[in-house]
Amino acid sequence: MAEAKVAYQKPKKKITVFSIVNYVVFVILALIILIPMWKVLVDSFNSVGVYQFRLWPSDFTLDGYRVILGERGLLRPLMNSFVTTIAGALLGLVLSTLGGYVLIQFDMPGRNLLAYFLLFTMIFSGGMIPEYLVMRRLGLLNNMWILVIKHGINVSNIVLMRNFFEGIPASLFEAARIDGCTPMGIFVKIVLPLSKAALASIGLMFAVAVWNDYSTVQIYINSPDQVNFQYKLRVMIMDGDTPPTAYPISQTTLYNAGIIAAILPFMILYPFLQKYFVKGVNIGAVKE
Amino acid sequence: MSNKNTTTTASGIQIRRKPLGLRIWNNRGHYIMFLPVFIFVLILNYWPMLGIRYAFMEYKAGGSPSWTGLTHFERMFSTSAFWSAFGNTLVLSIVKLFLTTFASVIVSVFLNEMGNLFVKKTLQTIIYLPHFMSWAVVASIFTLILSPSSTGMINGMLRDLGILGPNDSSIYFLADSKMWRPIFYLINIWKDTGWGTIIFLATLSGISPELYEAADIDGATRLQKIRFVTLPALANTIITVLILNLAKVMNLFESVFVLYNSAVYDVSDVIGTYIYRQTFMVARPDYGYSTAVGLFRSIVGCILVLICNKASNKVRGRGIV
Repeated sequence: MAEAKVAYQKPKKKITVFSIVNYVVFVILALIILIPMWKVLVDSFNSVGVYQFRLWPSDFTLDGYRVILGERGLLRPLMNSFVTTIAGALLGLVLSTLGGYVLIQFDMPGRNLLAYFLLFTMIFSGGMIPEYLVMRRLGLLNNMWILVIKHGINVSNIVLMRNFFEGIPASLFEAARIDGCTPMGIFVKIVLPLSKAALASIGLMFAVAVWNDYSTVQIYINSPDQVNFQYKLRVMIMDGDTPPTAYPISQTTLYNAGIIAAILPFMILYPFLQKYFVKGVNIGAVKE
Repeated sequence: MSNKNTTTTASGIQIRRKPLGLRIWNNRGHYIMFLPVFIFVLILNYWPMLGIRYAFMEYKAGGSPSWTGLTHFERMFSTSAFWSAFGNTLVLSIVKLFLTTFASVIVSVFLNEMGNLFVKKTLQTIIYLPHFMSWAVVASIFTLILSPSSTGMINGMLRDLGILGPNDSSIYFLADSKMWRPIFYLINIWKDTGWGTIIFLATLSGISPELYEAADIDGATRLQKIRFVTLPALANTIITVLILNLAKVMNLFESVFVLYNSAVYDVSDVIGTYIYRQTFMVARPDYGYSTAVGLFRSIVGCILVLICNKASNKVRGRGIV
């Protein structure tokens, strides 16, 4: 045993020029990512707008965040974002798990037809204007639930779910069926409990998509009561459309606080859920 | 046993099939479970496809549609703004795709050489971060940083360094036709390089350590190992990533929409934003014309998907749809 181990010895780790260069490159890379984000964070706590990059705010204030949580014109979009994100992730999970589960029923007549019915939408679409006209016919213009409905159905996520479900041993289904379990029973009692990781990954993908959606609001919604926070933030910064406020802070402070509010939910969740986010990419792309 | 009544399972065993009616009845639960998906896809994806007929109709807001044949397409193909948008779509998407993929490959190769596991994990966490920001947020951050006002960081730094004199006016980075595209690419690289490394790192972790050991025994240097072991192992994944993303070239919309403005339409306007402006930023939208442009976009997109699907089948033995 011992001899076999020393037969090949990895070269000893030594500090080479390469590894120093490698570290330096990555420090620079990390700074390039972090500096814009840190600048926004610091400026959101600073009551005066300045151009310099600083490590710490000089005139500390929380007023930027007070405005966001106190002004109806900003709080309402923030609430809309939370509501639509949660509803969108739930609807998305229900539809993608149902769709994915039915697509692995190899015994079901017409299964291929249904798969093509879904896949065709990935190849061809009616386009922006016909979609707009349909939504208008459905009475969904100026209605934030359009965000939920539009993201709730996502064919590529159905396919991801199917890929994941295919990995569950068919013998489990067979055994349950022999025991008299209904398809819905198998789905709820066997498939879903075995798919917690996939549910987390794909649920997060839906949530990020709804929370971050800006163009749907831009196209379909005008009413200030129905817009989401991403849209409000963008309009505020591009058009200087800030609500009147009693707090003595610069516009830039409010803009930066808005940016932080728009990324905070996922930045808080992210360190804990990173593996699920990453897994979502890998079930899709590297799956064999 | 007739062929009609038998089927071959995945494991290659021939089994006798039950009659079709019975199989449908046995699967009734599954059909019901598929119903919600079916309804959503029918309404949200297939119903709009009926609207494609407007591309061949005269249909302005407030009016009722009437057939006109191919006039919208004649107008489209003779409009220079349309051709400019089409060209910009291809250039912006493809250059962006190659630059971010290249950056992702470089970063993942060097990340793979990082011996310290803690440092490696921390770096991964940091470089994935921008992916979770929406385009609206990323555009907001860079609009503020590149702002020509007194709070714009880049203009302020250029003044401090003396590159901009006290009498020079600030640089309008995002409103300058020469600078818009490079800035667009840089922002894309900032946002997507980190996330793009995931798939390459997954491939790299699958390289057999024996290959590196063999290279060590042959006396290869670290750079030689990267050149002759790591990069060849990535070749297939790089091609896959390029194919998967080439299929989406025509989809470019949101990232341009949040960064462009009327001063830079000539270098930034893409088909998606062109359709948007033709419909929602005119006094009386011409749904017929914008549907026609949208149909052109869908057809080109469809052709790209089919080509990429073929290429994908060739390269890795399975399609993309």
